[in-house]
Amino acid sequence: MGSMKKIILYLEWGSILGLLSCGLWVFLKLPIETSQGFPQKIMYLHVPSVITTYLAFFVVFVYSIAYLWKRELMFDQIAKASAEVGLVFCALVLITGAIWGKPTWGTYWVWDARLTTTLLLFLIFMGYFLLRMSVNDRDKEARLASVLGIIGFLDIPIIHKSVEWWRTLHQPSTLFKVDSGEAKPSMPPELLYPLLASTLVMLAFYLYLLLLRYQTEKRTDRLNQLLAETQV
Amino acid sequence: MKTRTKFVIGGAVILAVIIALSVQGLQEMTVFFYTPQEVLASPSKFEDKTIRIGALVQKGSVEWNAKAIQLSFNITEDGNEFIPVLYDGVKPDLFREGQGVVVEGKMKGLRFEANQLLVKHSEEYTVETEQKKNKEDYYKSIQAQ
Repeated sequence: MGSMKKIILYLEWGSILGLLSCGLWVFLKLPIETSQGFPQKIMYLHVPSVITTYLAFFVVFVYSIAYLWKRELMFDQIAKASAEVGLVFCALVLITGAIWGKPTWGTYWVWDARLTTTLLLFLIFMGYFLLRMSVNDRDKEARLASVLGIIGFLDIPIIHKSVEWWRTLHQPSTLFKVDSGEAKPSMPPELLYPLLASTLVMLAFYLYLLLLRYQTEKRTDRLNQLLAETQV
Repeated sequence: MKTRTKFVIGGAVILAVIIALSVQGLQEMTVFFYTPQEVLASPSKFEDKTIRIGALVQKGSVEWNAKAIQLSFNITEDGNEFIPVLYDGVKPDLFREGQGVVVEGKMKGLRFEANQLLVKHSEEYTVETEQKKNKEDYYKSIQAQ
């Protein structure tokens, strides 16, 4: 238990300092991007949030399958914690995207495939928590939530590929661009490295929030268990 | 009729409506805009219907009327076929020649009257040093047409 506490503390301070220094780096050191100018800087919040959202719901997907397979309550606690954090990051994606869209596209929102499927992801996982809240039996809750968590994750490959499959206002991928079989992010290194750094920091922040929420979740379940036992 | 049968019928109707609406919505969503070629190929299909067209702003075609707050330009995909666009409104910050745009409005004869002008920027990010090279590439590509 002691080591877990230590890890959480390290992650906490690591992400605080990391986010702070990435912010300073982006605003004070980075060159201004040629075509978009200053608004491009929101990319350093938007893209790391996207990748964190992808990872958070992937964790939900994996632990939901694990729960249905092994019926270990711990797996459901992790899935729930990750879904919660993922939902916050998904909201951040939608908000930063809207703020970025206004000065560049000329609109906060359009119903194109990329934006619509991202909103759908947000709504699916809002539904995921409504489902959890509406079921009183803990095992039943875990079972149903696992199924929805698995289905909900399937939206992510659709989101990611939407800009290739369909005509969208949103531009194709910059970071995951592949040119004749080779990974070729279409941005110069002085813009790319800070983006990778911000992403790493954001993932550390996610891990911190995940572990914190998981611990709370574990204690809540234990408490409810003890209360149920004493009432009998 | 049994209550259960009613539920089944009601559920089926709701489900059918949901599916019909999502299929329709999905079609609209997957084709966020048409290309100039598609519109020019069957003008009667698009006449007087609110549509979106996505293309590039043709070089040398932009005219800005500051008094009337009116912007006119041609959009093209291949440099051969183009549609003249008239837009009532101010120029967006990122609007420039050669830029990808999505216009929303109606075809009036051969001209497109837009009430919304969106800029579709590319996934390429550059800083000052690369700007010159890209500009040169762009002029070369225009001359090659």
